[in-house]
Amino acid sequence: MQVTNSVMAKRDKTPPKGRYQSSMSKDDSKQLTEWLVAVAEKRDKKAFSALFSWFAPKIKNVAYRQFNNEAQALEIVQDTMTNVWRKAHLYHPEKGAATTWIYTVMRNVAFDALRKIQAKKEDLLSDDIWPLVEGEVTETESFSDYLMDKRLLNLVDTLPDNQQQIVRAVYFQDMTQEQLAKLLNIPLGTVKSRLRLALAKLRQQLDDQSQD
Amino acid sequence: MIKHHPKLDLIQAYTQGKLPASLSAAISIHASMCPDCQQLIDEQTELHASSVFENGGVNEVIYETETLSKIFAEADLDAMISAITSDDSVSQSQPVADKQVEINGQTYQLPRALANINHSNFSGIGKISRASLDLGEGDLHSHLLHIDAGGSVPSHTHKGFELTLLLDGTFSDESGEYVKGDFIMLDSSHEHTPISEKGCLCMTIADDALHFTQGLSKLLNPIGKMIY
Ligand SMILES: [Zn+2]
Repeated sequence: MQVTNSVMAKRDKTPPKGRYQSSMSKDDSKQLTEWLVAVAEKRDKKAFSALFSWFAPKIKNVAYRQFNNEAQALEIVQDTMTNVWRKAHLYHPEKGAATTWIYTVMRNVAFDALRKIQAKKEDLLSDDIWPLVEGEVTETESFSDYLMDKRLLNLVDTLPDNQQQIVRAVYFQDMTQEQLAKLLNIPLGTVKSRLRLALAKLRQQLDDQSQD
Repeated sequence: MIKHHPKLDLIQAYTQGKLPASLSAAISIHASMCPDCQQLIDEQTELHASSVFENGGVNEVIYETETLSKIFAEADLDAMISAITSDDSVSQSQPVADKQVEINGQTYQLPRALANINHSNFSGIGKISRASLDLGEGDLHSHLLHIDAGGSVPSHTHKGFELTLLLDGTFSDESGEYVKGDFIMLDSSHEHTPISEKGCLCMTIADDALHFTQGLSKLLNPIGKMIY
């Protein structure tokens, strides 16, 4: 680690972006993002296998260099990829590259593992120190409280695909309806009406359930 | 306005997960109040992520798969992938634990990064009280430090470094006034006498290990050795 005397001076400059993007093409980066979004939105196992194949050897190399232990490195791979599968809905394509997001998932897993070894603590602090989503659970709309409910999660699965996609993007990935319309290449009005339909259907089913 | 920020080398070590939990939490709390540092952290994370993952593109998946089958021969690749994907539940973001501390009738909301760290009861003399944070980091000792309105900490220096992160309220010392979010790193050459007119709550991290006496610039070396 280099310690410079002119840290403050350096901080005024933005990092030279071109340099580190050169060896990975835009297409590659786009492909990784598509796979990750497919995992998030469709629980696409094929896309997950592709991500696994691309990332696992790299993660293992990094973890092996850090822990100097074969079994530990494999555990980091397994835990990281498990979190990728389970937390993909927290990834925001508009906020950054898939590689950056998966890196942070790996870094958090390794941090907790290291703490377990060194401080003998299993307190899993990484998600508090580096929250994967800014301002989680700060939604004020009362409906989002319902969305935290597992019951409702199951109901979301019963929606038609095109409504499910929109509910997941808006409520689990915090996308705006405008962003979504652009991404899906459909009119904003269609996004709005699908979301309205989906929410109405969810409310209806919740009411039905609570009357059982 | 926040005037004191973590230096770039600390920010880099933080984004790479190389700092102890206490310092990581302190930088996280500072960044949650300082958009400039948050932006720097995002940039550094992106930089480091691409340097870690940049070798080889998607077109090399076939090659990677060969490597993959070597790496995971014993673990059985397909079994690993299907074990992961067979569990279809989605991680729900945990509701952020709402943790407050009450000291002498004053209630403070603790930041998220401290919400799951246990601390002892507050104890102290006069207007100063502290509680130790249970992080198990050896010579690194972390505390919550509370100064009641009108209180001051006796003049002191440190063997190693002392970080003071102002969580709420204000205090001042010989160098000026500090506000909520200020990240104040002092080494053993500094002597100071903090005074708080209206009261404040801080997180402090001090290192009492002798090998830190050369100050902050050497901070990362011993930690590096401790980790690797
Ligand atoms: Zn800052």
